[in-house]
Amino acid sequence: MTALATTLERIVGPTHVLARPASLLAYRSDALPGHRVMPALAVMPGTREELIAVMRALAEDGTPYVARGAGTGLSGGALADGVVLLALHRLRRIIQIDPVARTATVEPGVVNATLTRAVAAHRLHYAPDPSSQTACTIGGNIAENAGGPHCLKYGVTLNHVIRATVVLPSGEVVQLDRGDASASASASSAGYDLLGAFVGSEGCFGVVADVTVRLTPDPERVITLLADFMSVRSAANATSRIIAAGIVPAALELMDQATIEAVESSVYAAGYPRDAAAVLLAEVDGAAAGLDDDVRAIEALCLESGARSVRIAHDPAERTRLWLGRKKAFGAMGRVAPHLVVQDAVVPRTALADLLEDIQAIGVKHRLRVCNVFHAGDGNLHPNIPYDADDADESARVHKAMKEIMTRCIDAGGTITGEHGVGLDKLPYMEALFTPDTLDAMCSLRSVFDPTRRSNPGKVVPVRSCREWHATPAARV
Amino acid sequence: MSTPTVFAPTTGAEVVDFVREAHDATRSLRIVGAGRWSDAGHAVRASDTLSLARLRGIVAYRPDDLTITVEAGTTLADIDAATRERRQWCPLLAWGDDEGTVGATLATATTGPFAETLGRPRDLALGIEAVDGTARMIVAGGRVVKNVAGFDLTRAIVGAWGTLAVITRAHLRLRPRPQVDETLAVTPREGFPTLPVAPLASFALTPDLAARLGVADARWLVRLGGNATAVAAMRATLASSGHVHALDPDAWSVLRRVCAPPSPAMHWRWDTLSRQLRDRFDPLHILNPGLLGEAR
Repeated sequence: MTALATTLERIVGPTHVLARPASLLAYRSDALPGHRVMPALAVMPGTREELIAVMRALAEDGTPYVARGAGTGLSGGALADGVVLLALHRLRRIIQIDPVARTATVEPGVVNATLTRAVAAHRLHYAPDPSSQTACTIGGNIAENAGGPHCLKYGVTLNHVIRATVVLPSGEVVQLDRGDASASASASSAGYDLLGAFVGSEGCFGVVADVTVRLTPDPERVITLLADFMSVRSAANATSRIIAAGIVPAALELMDQATIEAVESSVYAAGYPRDAAAVLLAEVDGAAAGLDDDVRAIEALCLESGARSVRIAHDPAERTRLWLGRKKAFGAMGRVAPHLVVQDAVVPRTALADLLEDIQAIGVKHRLRVCNVFHAGDGNLHPNIPYDADDADESARVHKAMKEIMTRCIDAGGTITGEHGVGLDKLPYMEALFTPDTLDAMCSLRSVFDPTRRSNPGKVVPVRSCREWHATPAARV
Repeated sequence: MSTPTVFAPTTGAEVVDFVREAHDATRSLRIVGAGRWSDAGHAVRASDTLSLARLRGIVAYRPDDLTITVEAGTTLADIDAATRERRQWCPLLAWGDDEGTVGATLATATTGPFAETLGRPRDLALGIEAVDGTARMIVAGGRVVKNVAGFDLTRAIVGAWGTLAVITRAHLRLRPRPQVDETLAVTPREGFPTLPVAPLASFALTPDLAARLGVADARWLVRLGGNATAVAAMRATLASSGHVHALDPDAWSVLRRVCAPPSPAMHWRWDTLSRQLRDRFDPLHILNPGLLGEAR
């Protein structure tokens, strides 16, 4: 790597190439502490030109690399195992904001919440709001097709991306869009949905140099409700009834007793009733007219489903406090144990109540504490298990429990990840979810963008599933 | 050269077999649904025809999950009939008539007047089953509303006009019909009407279209949805700038028929990535060859 390090230093300057193990420690894991591997070196380009030059140097050298934003991912996706780590956090220019067209063009290292702050004066915001939004980057959001509580109404990252400039693993720079005739500049031009294929490709298809995203007008009015229940089942049932009634809440989040306890014991205490079996955090927004009717309808459906009480946030401060507890729930679990595993399965909404009971039973069976805090409106579960990774016995039980939970979710007609990505963490479940032909087709799709498979090697699709790859040797690692 | 055949399979497995035979014999296929959009301004030169018309039917309707699984040859009318009773709809509602098939609507990614608010085909397809040009049966996505497992084959295949894979089945997202659903023809006092913030759809009418709808002086067709209070407020906004006239929602079906089909003079972007995509999924170019004007 020494010759390559020298080449990279020449491009970005010696202070932006890290090669000593001590300085690489920070990149050993992402926000899922169970996976720990070390990159060979880290390179941090500071401009678009440097990024392109670095990508070309890596291509010329045939070296695999892993792109990384803020490292807030929850799937082990941004880990570089003995290869080059390409850190994009210095590429944080907001290139253009167009308040009339309601778009912004940004570099990949721009922090999600920073973009929203930058456009707030225009009464606009960037809608996808992962709970890590104060730290995570837009580039990372694109790689993961990130979601968040408000995606229930506003859609996930892909629904907000208009076009992207991408540096392919070969070093070639391309423009990607949705290939949508009516959305592109010339009305009669159309094409394959290359952007749709790229968003959510977990860094395996190339690196974003800049991206143009849609901005969303701030709603005229927002109302937040908290319903508390004596059973998780009744909270899950209330969720299904609200959605089926034709109300489109901006968000609909469920937290169970273990999560409430963790949050209320932390600095993020939100005033959730500690004796409730579950709380449902619901939000409606939009034009002011008719919003109160939706609130009354949600309140009635919660009460009919067995809610003990429904509280409506009366001012922005109370609203913020209710949301802070939800958004910082993962962090609050840090009080319970040093490590945390988080799963991200999605199940059909009607299966939620049964699944939550099964997950609880699996936890009891393996003597583990499972905390559920999740996007109920989408059926997107987040069972969290706090544990001590240095305790071999406990780690083994966590592993078994997670496998059982995943199998149960797949059997219920669900999927293994709704927004966190496959990365390294969910790789073992891909063959349970997809047929060999389908996994092979995914390898074909990857080969379109990364024929030498140097971009985030070993992630998303198990290497053994790729028939074409058996025929030709892998890239040098 | 043997005589052209028309094959109309009734199962996905038969489609796999037929495509494999075609692939092995290097015979090209014209992929047809209801046969309404047979080309995009470029002639398809195919040995045989693969019709999805008999691969038709609702596989599973799950009203409480707001999803439906249908075979590719199922018409939009079939879905409407199945979901109406539970006050749901599939907002594909593409330009054209309801005898068009789900497979063709997804393959062409044809939008309609409600695409901006209720979703485009590329957003409404939660998952698909499709047979590519090498006879791989691809089972992509799923039937849940949020899914990032693996690389997104659904996005690649939907809108590819059958040139990567033949869609055989789809899982679609449904939506509840609005509590109150009003269609209004608007005659603005001058220029543009004041549109409410979030109509389901708004469409500028030509004098000819307005006449067809029986509202000769109207210039806008607007659909409002939501609870009674919200719709009343939106109607009041519209009425502040002109005369509003309530119409049957069937006006949208008329509009969709009259404004179809999509522009035939389509210019497909054949950049390096697009060529590679085609070559990876249909290396012999047996699926709809020529349809997108590609050079061989």
